[in-house]
Amino acid sequence: MDAGERQVQVRFTTRLGSDLRVEATAFSLPVHLNRYGLSQIINTLLALDGPRPFDFLFDGELIRTTLEQLYLSKNLSAESILVLEYILAVGPPELQSSQPEKDWVSAVNGVNPSLILSGSYDSFARAWFPDGTCGSVLKGHSDAITSIAVAGSSNDTDLDVITSSKDKTLRLWKVGSFDRVSIIVPLKPSSSTLSSVRIFKGHAASVQCVAANPSNTQVCSGSWDSTIKLWKIDSEDEDNEDEQALKKRKLDGAKQSIAQVTAFTTHKEHTQCVAALEWPEDRYIFSASWDHSFRQWDVETSINTLTMTCSKALHCLSVGGEGSLLVATGGADPVLRIWDTRMPGTVVPVLQLTSHTSWISSCKWHRQSPKHLLTSSYDGTVKMWDIRSKVPLQTVEAHKDKVLCTDWWREDTVVSGGADCEFKLFKYTPIEWL
Amino acid sequence: MAASDDDALQVLSGDDQDDGAYSSDFEEEEADSGEEEADLDEEEGDFDDEDEEDEDSDEEDGAADGNVEANDSANHEEIREALLDYIGNGNAGADGDEESDDREAADESDSSEDEAPPRNTVGEIPLEFYKDEEHIGYDRAGRKLKKQARKDQLDSFLDRSDDPKDWHKVYDEYNDEYVELTKEEMGMISRIRQGKLPHAEVDAYQPYVDWFDWDGKGHPLSNAPEPKRRFIPSKWEAKKVVKLVRALRKGWIKLDKPKEKPRFYLMWGDDLKVNEKTANGLAYIPAPKAKLPGHEESYNPPVEYIPSEEEINSYQLMYEEDRPKFIPKKFDSLRHVPAYAEFIKEIFERCLDLYLCPRTRKKRLNIDPDSLLPKLPKPKDLQPYPTTCFLEYKGHTGAVSSISADPTGEWLLSGSRDGTVRVWEVQTGRCKKVWDMGGSVFCVAWNPNPALPVVAIAVSNDVVLLDPEVGDEEVQLNIAKLLAVQPSTSEPTENTPLIGWKRHDKLRGIQLSHQQNVVRVSWHNKGDYFVSVSPDGNNRAVLVHQLSKQQSQNPFRKHHGRVADVLFHPARPFMFVATKMHVRVYNLAKQELSKKLITGLQEISSMALHSGGDNLILGSKGAKLCWFDMDLSVKPYKTIKNHKEDINAVAFHKSYPLFASCSDDLSTHVFHGMVYSDLMQNPLIVPLKILHGHQKGERSPSGSSMLQSYPATSPGVSDIKFHPTQPWLFTAGADSVIKLFCN
Repeated sequence: MDAGERQVQVRFTTRLGSDLRVEATAFSLPVHLNRYGLSQIINTLLALDGPRPFDFLFDGELIRTTLEQLYLSKNLSAESILVLEYILAVGPPELQSSQPEKDWVSAVNGVNPSLILSGSYDSFARAWFPDGTCGSVLKGHSDAITSIAVAGSSNDTDLDVITSSKDKTLRLWKVGSFDRVSIIVPLKPSSSTLSSVRIFKGHAASVQCVAANPSNTQVCSGSWDSTIKLWKIDSEDEDNEDEQALKKRKLDGAKQSIAQVTAFTTHKEHTQCVAALEWPEDRYIFSASWDHSFRQWDVETSINTLTMTCSKALHCLSVGGEGSLLVATGGADPVLRIWDTRMPGTVVPVLQLTSHTSWISSCKWHRQSPKHLLTSSYDGTVKMWDIRSKVPLQTVEAHKDKVLCTDWWREDTVVSGGADCEFKLFKYTPIEWL
Repeated sequence: MAASDDDALQVLSGDDQDDGAYSSDFEEEEADSGEEEADLDEEEGDFDDEDEEDEDSDEEDGAADGNVEANDSANHEEIREALLDYIGNGNAGADGDEESDDREAADESDSSEDEAPPRNTVGEIPLEFYKDEEHIGYDRAGRKLKKQARKDQLDSFLDRSDDPKDWHKVYDEYNDEYVELTKEEMGMISRIRQGKLPHAEVDAYQPYVDWFDWDGKGHPLSNAPEPKRRFIPSKWEAKKVVKLVRALRKGWIKLDKPKEKPRFYLMWGDDLKVNEKTANGLAYIPAPKAKLPGHEESYNPPVEYIPSEEEINSYQLMYEEDRPKFIPKKFDSLRHVPAYAEFIKEIFERCLDLYLCPRTRKKRLNIDPDSLLPKLPKPKDLQPYPTTCFLEYKGHTGAVSSISADPTGEWLLSGSRDGTVRVWEVQTGRCKKVWDMGGSVFCVAWNPNPALPVVAIAVSNDVVLLDPEVGDEEVQLNIAKLLAVQPSTSEPTENTPLIGWKRHDKLRGIQLSHQQNVVRVSWHNKGDYFVSVSPDGNNRAVLVHQLSKQQSQNPFRKHHGRVADVLFHPARPFMFVATKMHVRVYNLAKQELSKKLITGLQEISSMALHSGGDNLILGSKGAKLCWFDMDLSVKPYKTIKNHKEDINAVAFHKSYPLFASCSDDLSTHVFHGMVYSDLMQNPLIVPLKILHGHQKGERSPSGSSMLQSYPATSPGVSDIKFHPTQPWLFTAGADSVIKLFCN
């Protein structure tokens, strides 16, 4: 350490457990230290067995510069004591497994911790075991799968899986869930072929997105015909199908009698393709569209309660943050925009995260943490973000071609699928969001 | 004064006698005295009877015997005496020596002579005042001066006869006495009577003595006497003045008002702008100001100005013109600075410049170049418009010749020279469908009616209608019906149909076989009619087909030239037919020519219509772009030469005010083209962005080994289309890649 270098007073606080707590006295530290140096100091103070990386927060922002630059940028007095909160850093994701698929992987879903669902352009959806082997193939669609939603908790024996497809329909599947203990399932990989239980018809063009409500009774879907349709999962209206629907079913060439469901509500306010939907609570739905707007819908009254307009076509949307008040949108440009729903009518997002170099294909808030985001882009990368920092936490060169979809799975895994026909799992150290 | 002169002369004459040498000053003095001597001689001649004076002068002459100069000085003495006499005081001049001794005394005597005693002290008053008095005035003591008794005639006669000198006497009224005139006074009177000068000693006509030695002096001035005209006012000038005065009085000449100086002026005005004309018509052109020398020109420049070895070496690699003229160099002192090496060369070049440069005055227009540019809004304010390429559609193996987007914006259709037609998913760039057409594809067109997704493809001699399978079940049923060849239309043989509608050999679709290459297909906005263009088809170059009835018709009997492109008006029954140099607008309802647009272009290559239908853009082989406002004129509203090479395609956006052109020079130019609903307002055209990115493709030779002559492929960007709903632009290149440019 340079003797002539300037030193500043730093005090560390944390909300981590007592085993990771250091005494609350001020340390005199050289100004050239950055996150890595501070993390080393915490490690030496704690005298841990193995090194654990820490991240440091000042004033609600992650430190990504040296202490000197921090002092300069925040206009702090060099004599004041800097209070830094440290949290466990998110480690770089490492490739766990890579599964080749037959075609582009267009949709993944990791809601259920016991299995991962993926949809592909070869019109099949697949259920994957946690070890990365294919459990079952959902066959039935006649065109590419665009989106997958899961209804039903992991406690149920069977999961309700809804897939949307370019063939203008949605299908409901009952997929047997596998808990963690029974990883070695009697079912042989890829040998089981499931067929759909119900088919949702009514869209006039490709269905682009699907979302199920938290209570698992309804699903909504958005389509290229610029409508949002709401469907009931357990509809008992099989008997009162009209003749036309029967006709259609015959034309569809479905040999087994599949229950056909029609939508009970249709929202037509969007003027262009509805590209993304999210149903964070039973009361309302969020939708994003190519007409540059994203909207909030009240389910009970079917009223469009909020409209916010962006300058670009939107392709993906995710609701999260503290109290699920923030909306992250990605679209036809490399910027991830985060909007505050409490400020309707604003044109400028509260946060613009720029690091991708091409269109953002999907974005997902972490299911528990209100600060963490996951995005995938056509530039072939998957990025993890902490909204307390303008630079991404981690960047993974996930695919050789466009990354079309990504999702969190369990606490320590990120799944992604891309145009290089690969389905990949990445492991990372779990996020401590407290 | 006279006395002092004499004194000086006497001293001089004494000196002269001793030395016998004269300075030029003295000579002049002598000249004066000589003149006076001559006067004296004459005087002597006139007054013979003045004895006393003569005797005096004789005595003086005798004293200075045998010496000319001495004589001269003696003559001076006589002159002095003559002058004194003239004043009228003979006694005072009696002793000259005494006076010359004491100058003060002489002065005093002079003044006393002037004030010499008139007896009477009344002063100069008219003597009539004393006419009736017994006295004539007062003497100095104040006593009355008694009038003397007047002599009567007899007494005066007796006096005259008694005194022979009585006629010399004159009565002095003032002093009331008789004064006897002296001999000199008598002479003076007689000379006046004779018309001569009163003083005998003044010679008015004495000979001119040129005392200056002119020889060899070369005097610069003329010594001719001043002419008379120098001293009298000019007659002609007087006439001129009279003339001018008259003209002024009559108002023929108007005097200029004095120029008012501006109250405020630019104190530190830029003298470079002084460009006022002078009287002879020449404008003052200030010399260009040379740059002031900086630190680098110093003989001892700071280190940072001195180039390093590498820098000097790098100069050698530069072009001669780009090399720095002067390389700073350090010297120990100013003495060590050598002569400027380029001096002779520069002077020589300067001379060459002066000799060779044309001596013409160039009229410089003092116009701000920015003011000549039209006031256009900034491109930043006209967003959104396509700027960046984020997505590429790769899969074709040959040059992509034509693209077309479906009306919803979900799909993109492309046809290529590799014989395939592909359907792409716009959002992801995935190829949904590939059709192998078995021939070079010239043009593809997606039906603009969203309810009827059918594509028309121009493949060599055929137009093929295919189903892209993107509609829902109902639509698919419709299309299946439409694309099933109806036997009723092909069977009847009352007269051979123009074009046979046949089932396509391999694909599910309809094939319309033409006789020549079909290079363009374009749909009517309603999606029922479409038109095919085969330029070599002579009178069958343009055929209109109806999808619902599966019929074809030939609306034109004859074409005025080779047809390049045909378009339908989006709303009204008009058809635009572009031939090589003109665009004809036909009214299909009335079946007549409604307008003929004169383009002035070399060869029209492509055409695009604004969604309003009143504005048309044309791209040409001469790299020119024409905008027609058909409400305005049949001539182009604006012609833009923006590209370096032939324009291949032009396109309008359906909803955004955007249009674009693409060219063989691998660039795509995007413009803002705002059409106002107000008819009085002209369209606003603003260039926005030049998009690059395509690679040079190979130009396939036209009419190669194949029997049919194929139109040549362009090596650059072959086609562009806007996305129907977003401000995005698709460009298709000869490098077999389709690019999507987004805002």
